[in-house]
Amino acid sequence: MSATTLDSSRAARGRHGWLANALRKIGFLPALLIVLVGLLVAFEPRFMGTFNLFNVLRNSSALMIVASGQMLVLVVGGFDLSVGAVIALTSVVTAKAMAVTLEAAPDDVSTAILFGVLAGMACGFVTGLVNGACVAFLRISPFMVTLGTSSIATGVALLLTNGIPVYGMPDAFVKEFGRAIWFGLPMPVYVSVAVLALVWFMQRQTTVGRYIHAIGGNMQAAMVSGVNTNFYLILAYTLCGMLASLTSILLTARLGSGQATMSGNLMLESIAAGVIAGVSLRGGVGRVEMVALSALFLSILTNAMNLLKINSKIQTIFMGVIVVAAVALDEFAKRRSRDARGR
Amino acid sequence: MNDTTLRPAESSAGRSAAAFFVRYGLVIALVVMELGFAIVEPLVLSPGNLLNVLQQTTYIAVFAAAQMVVILTRGFDLSLGTCVSSVSVASALVMTSMVAADPGNLPSALAMGILTGLGLGVAVGLFNGFCISVLNVNAFVTTLGSFNICFGIATTISDGRPVFDVPKEFSELMYSGTILGVPAPVIIAVAVLAALHLLLNGTVFGRSLYIIGGNPRAATLAGLPSRRYLVLAYVLCSVLAAVGALMLTARTGSGEPNLGGNVTLQSIAAAVIGGVSLRGGVGSTYAAVLGAVFVTALSNCMGLARIDGYIQQIILGCVIIAAIFVDRLRTGAR
Repeated sequence: MSATTLDSSRAARGRHGWLANALRKIGFLPALLIVLVGLLVAFEPRFMGTFNLFNVLRNSSALMIVASGQMLVLVVGGFDLSVGAVIALTSVVTAKAMAVTLEAAPDDVSTAILFGVLAGMACGFVTGLVNGACVAFLRISPFMVTLGTSSIATGVALLLTNGIPVYGMPDAFVKEFGRAIWFGLPMPVYVSVAVLALVWFMQRQTTVGRYIHAIGGNMQAAMVSGVNTNFYLILAYTLCGMLASLTSILLTARLGSGQATMSGNLMLESIAAGVIAGVSLRGGVGRVEMVALSALFLSILTNAMNLLKINSKIQTIFMGVIVVAAVALDEFAKRRSRDARGR
Repeated sequence: MNDTTLRPAESSAGRSAAAFFVRYGLVIALVVMELGFAIVEPLVLSPGNLLNVLQQTTYIAVFAAAQMVVILTRGFDLSLGTCVSSVSVASALVMTSMVAADPGNLPSALAMGILTGLGLGVAVGLFNGFCISVLNVNAFVTTLGSFNICFGIATTISDGRPVFDVPKEFSELMYSGTILGVPAPVIIAVAVLAALHLLLNGTVFGRSLYIIGGNPRAATLAGLPSRRYLVLAYVLCSVLAAVGALMLTARTGSGEPNLGGNVTLQSIAAAVIGGVSLRGGVGSTYAAVLGAVFVTALSNCMGLARIDGYIQQIILGCVIIAAIFVDRLRTGAR
């Protein structure tokens, strides 16, 4: 069995030659991204417009931050379905906290902003803590825990607002932060680069990152080696929740109001970005730079479909196919290399 | 540990009490809940309301049973909700266009509508099953993908609008009609669920699903055609979802592109609350139905007690987590 696959794969390698080699060197996803951007630059002049590029950058920054949090949870072998609900809850709570403090002390804008941001981050922190604790101590399936907390968080967000947008945030927060352009680029870009750098550093250079990967790779082995698995599980979920909150604060600042319906598709897209980047759903494998790249890819792809005026309903079909195809290809490649090694 | 060896009589009594609670906990919770709400709002226990709850349960019970089939194999089906939507829209479109073309030939229009719906269910199930079992793609990702695909299909072919003018006869057939005073949805649901029960318990395929979910490696070593059975399980799930979708379409009297909005979550919640284990291999039609009754009764009680819809959502979330925790205890107790 393995002999024949090896032979056929060798034959395939010989046949495709330089193209396959080049692809292997830079990787499939970056190549795809380059092709996509190349096509857009060549055939779609509107893509290079400043307004459009800023939009793509803003959208991809938001997705990158959520997706890097999601990746941490995927790496420990979990799932976080509640990021969407956390984004909604954070948006509402941040806006409300700012509006209330501003009303109490109209002159003290910076306190209001500080309060709002802290309250918002607390939402992600608490949700993540609950998710992590349920997964770690009660050994409940992450799918169901985060399904439950997502229902709870959405309920709280709607309850706080009755579904009505929350206005009354300080102007300084919206105009000078949310919609700011720093050194020619939208503000969220800098935040996302900082987040990605931090997560990358944590993953590569610290024991925390190594332990998180070890837990996802083999929980039993990590536990036996003396890793406090519960602590790192909870840490991963808490970080994921807080990164979702951070995204929400950026989005809320740009929008200028707190909305209980804000998350949109970010939950699904964050998982899709992780999966396309080759993060294993079985845990233990995942690189943040690839996740960032696939978030960028998804954002540009969506943008391209919008520019081409592809019906949004057909876009959803397309997204679905891409996600499944990406994982199927990944599985296929893995099986082939496994077979090759099996010799 | 020592205590159990020293006092076997007492501990076995304790253990059987625990086993009793684990086994009938949900039924007890259901009765307590109904009685508790009845103190606040006597209407809860009125015969009319109980009948109402039973009728509403039929739909969720079918969806929960569909979900249960794949949960048995350690999978789940996120696409169930949008599969329901696309079946609803597709069958409604076929029926309305056939009636418009040839008003005289109603029976064949109805038959074609139903067949289209079931056929779409088979197609979605085949796609899911093929990706999961043959291409080895994770169930979550596959059904997330088909969730998007079905959503796109449902909204594209309907243009995002409900499909009206579904023949009245269809609604009569699957919703308002009665046989010997029993409403049609109840008859359909009971028939479908009974057939599923027999299939799961009386056939090699059915029993194999339990083994595949309980111990996939053992199933393969035992020579079971796991891959084929896994595909069949997803097909069965989607076909059951299609049946439920047709029943719902008959109730609303139109093909709705948003019909399945909450169905996925509700079906998973109902199945798990009923005691279907997400670790696979544990579950029954009875469990799915019981879970469906509980979920329906809970929202009915909260509605009658005029609890805010948003708070209902929070409570449902808590119930889901509690149910999984109990499931954890149950598997720990075994």
